[in-house]
Amino acid sequence: MARPRLIPVLLLKHGVLVRSQAFRTHQVIGNPMSTVKRLSDWNVDELILLDISAGDFHDLRRDDIQQRYQGTGALDVLREVSKVCFMPLTFGGRISTLEDIQQRLAAGADKVVVNTAAVENPQFIRAASNRYGAQCVVVSIDALRRNDGRYEVYAGSGKRPTGLDPVSWAQEAAQLGAGEIFLNSVDRDGAATGYDIDLVRSITKAVNIPVIACGGVGCYNDFIPGITEGGASAVAAANIFHFFEHSYPRAKQICIDAGLPMRPVQLDSPWQRREPTYDRILEDSRIDERLRRAATMDYVAAASRPDQNAIRWCTRCVYPSISAAPMEFDEQGVCMGCRMAETKAGIPSDEWKQRKELLRDILEKYRCKDGSRHDVVIAVSGGKDSWFQTHVIKEEFGLNPLLVTYDGNNWTDVGWRNLVRMRETFGCDHVLVRPSVKTITKLNRLAFVIMGDMNWHAHVGITTAPVQVAAEKKIPLVIWGEHGYLDLSGQFSMYDFPEMSYRDRLEHFARGYEWNYFVGREGLTSQDMSIWKYPSDQKIFDIDLRGLYLGNYVFWEANQHSKMIIEQYGFEISDVAFDRTYRRMSNLDDMHENGVHDYLKYIKFGYGRCTDHACKDVRAGLMSREYAIELVRKMDHVKPSDLKRWLAYAGMTEDEFDRIADTFRDPRVWRMSKNNWVKDEPWPAANGPNHNGSHDQVST
Amino acid sequence: MSSHIVIVDLEISNLASVLQALRQIGAPPHAFATAQNIEFADAILLPGVGAFGDGMGSLRQKQLIDPIKRAAGRGTPIFGICLGMQLLAEHSEEFGSHEGLGLIKGEVVRLRPSEPEFRVPNIGWCDVEAVRPSVFFPNSAAGCYYHVHSYHLVPKDRAVAVGIIDYAGSQHVVALDTGNLFGVQFHPEKSQDDGLRVLANFFAALPHMQRPS
Repeated sequence: MARPRLIPVLLLKHGVLVRSQAFRTHQVIGNPMSTVKRLSDWNVDELILLDISAGDFHDLRRDDIQQRYQGTGALDVLREVSKVCFMPLTFGGRISTLEDIQQRLAAGADKVVVNTAAVENPQFIRAASNRYGAQCVVVSIDALRRNDGRYEVYAGSGKRPTGLDPVSWAQEAAQLGAGEIFLNSVDRDGAATGYDIDLVRSITKAVNIPVIACGGVGCYNDFIPGITEGGASAVAAANIFHFFEHSYPRAKQICIDAGLPMRPVQLDSPWQRREPTYDRILEDSRIDERLRRAATMDYVAAASRPDQNAIRWCTRCVYPSISAAPMEFDEQGVCMGCRMAETKAGIPSDEWKQRKELLRDILEKYRCKDGSRHDVVIAVSGGKDSWFQTHVIKEEFGLNPLLVTYDGNNWTDVGWRNLVRMRETFGCDHVLVRPSVKTITKLNRLAFVIMGDMNWHAHVGITTAPVQVAAEKKIPLVIWGEHGYLDLSGQFSMYDFPEMSYRDRLEHFARGYEWNYFVGREGLTSQDMSIWKYPSDQKIFDIDLRGLYLGNYVFWEANQHSKMIIEQYGFEISDVAFDRTYRRMSNLDDMHENGVHDYLKYIKFGYGRCTDHACKDVRAGLMSREYAIELVRKMDHVKPSDLKRWLAYAGMTEDEFDRIADTFRDPRVWRMSKNNWVKDEPWPAANGPNHNGSHDQVST
Repeated sequence: MSSHIVIVDLEISNLASVLQALRQIGAPPHAFATAQNIEFADAILLPGVGAFGDGMGSLRQKQLIDPIKRAAGRGTPIFGICLGMQLLAEHSEEFGSHEGLGLIKGEVVRLRPSEPEFRVPNIGWCDVEAVRPSVFFPNSAAGCYYHVHSYHLVPKDRAVAVGIIDYAGSQHVVALDTGNLFGVQFHPEKSQDDGLRVLANFFAALPHMQRPS
């Protein structure tokens, strides 16, 4: 008999992958390519990709990432995805004609999912099955458990009741020639309470075609009863596979250990490398094209006529939709960052106590029992979060952590003093990972030209060095501070407990540029890039290496933490104000992070660190939106003074810098008017100097 | 000298997936089959998804039936995947009665499981048992492969079988290797590492196979 399948489901909305709650709330996980590639690395049984876009609007959010694809629609995503899929690929969403099916099969799908079209016209199933074979037609049933305990089929992305009973509808679909039933529980979507087993069982008993159960999985153990009790041929889930490293192989191992005869876990495929393979000729031509545009001042954004509606701003804080962070807005126009802050603020102190106990259990599990290693690794930059993390782990939980720091050579004086004092203040061992300054200099220069951000080395170094040290020393737990995007843009829910992952590192920190991208450029060798190489999947899997974000377990408010570590431990804050933010306690480890790195974010997307910080403070109730707007207008556009140091460091003139930077301006944000860069904003006008000596015009 | 492979485009197959898998394993360059280039082919790849009658109809329309039969007679290796393997048989009962290429003696019949927990179509990953060393499974170690089918080929001579699955208590042939004829019922292009290995094994063995004179 066929082995029971474990199937990840990906939800594609307007070009990006989302996490879903009750079919309504969607949070942006990221670019589909990096996740699909990762699932392929994990040797998954099958993949279901559902396009839940409303209309043809398509927005990848940022175009400075390496992972991109030709075209602007879900079919283009499918075509690209199928290139890395050596497993069955099922595609669904917005299919209502035989031509729709034909197009999707031609674009690389092996099977298609039909839902609303089948409900509206059941004969469509027969027509599809006759033309393409039953094995190709998966009928999706979205069932909702009503208050009276009875079930009803919903159509139109779970929004419209149909009056159909799931059991009789499944039987009819099977009779009409459906090859499989994809059964989703609407009320369990994103609820993390497990499958609705009664529902699953009622369908598997009623039909003799395979049934795929979906909806409600909150932990790996939830998959098991879908098969043992529900009788499903396959168990599927969406959200959970985004939250943890090796979520798929771990879930599978748990099912196998429970006696389910699933295919064995396989990692580190001999056919596919985890690290992307780059088309060197194509990439070189992209870089050459950028340099040509810079040299001739032929900017894409200069000729653009931005659509007034291209950018949305959160109606509660000041966050824009075109951003470096994966951001989504709800029906009220409120951003997911605000929504998650709301959730977080609503967590009662009792629950924080429970979360802390949850953390205690995990820490106890990973604590070293025989003295052979440190208990955990803490990734520290010497900043306020590092001090707070170390305080919690060392003082509150009594563990003996190993502190690991990536030294990117950009320290402020205060930041460096804070860092070196940590081993003295907390009595911890401290490993500094210090790459050659010659190599870092090259990476600064290269990454600025390639992706408009000199700090690639820092983002990737910080997310790699602690994991590398942990893997080498077989310390199975790395402690991070907050999950940056959960906090900033509500990428995950407070109930997801996301952990560090290779996908996150490659997509969000490295923007798709893995270490091997740089090999052969400016003479860099594979050996030179050693510090930026992530441990292999097998190595991580074997020691069950996890990376926890403390912010999921401990209440996190940066202003309060700073106050505590200043008073209790004498943490130093900056004695001089930053150019681009009003906060004085952030990013002391890297003078460019709040400076020229962040200035480039403004050049690209039209907003900067002041917006980030002001949004956090608006959400924490520390300032009004009006006050935030004042600050943003005052600081977001400022060209920072650390640029001088960087130019000398990288050996570049300011003119060269400006020209290359201007090639990265997002045409949806910027346009050129009378030799000035201009952008639209939803709040009253204010002017600030721009780097061409003229002014950025800001109009409403 | 590298081999010259032709691929038959039945226009009802998942050709893109097969081509992607061939690219991934670094298979030799290939061309789409025509009545002419089949004459010079070192191997013919016959992938397919869909109904038997449509598959034969497509071969007939492209006037490939006789060229393929002649190539088979000359000893050109022919590798059928899924429907492509079924087309090698004499006859199929899928949606009526259809004549096949008749290269393998046997019939294609519907899966008729006696036990209700075996569902039709047979969709999913099945363990394949290698019954003897073959091009696909040189060390007699098979693996787990993705199957999607409602019909299966029953060869008259069981000795052609190299891979079988256990389905509803009886053994079904899912891989065959006899003379210059090769076939798999499952989808190697959709069977992850194990599947890519089957394809790679075939192309690695190809230079050592008998060439048409």
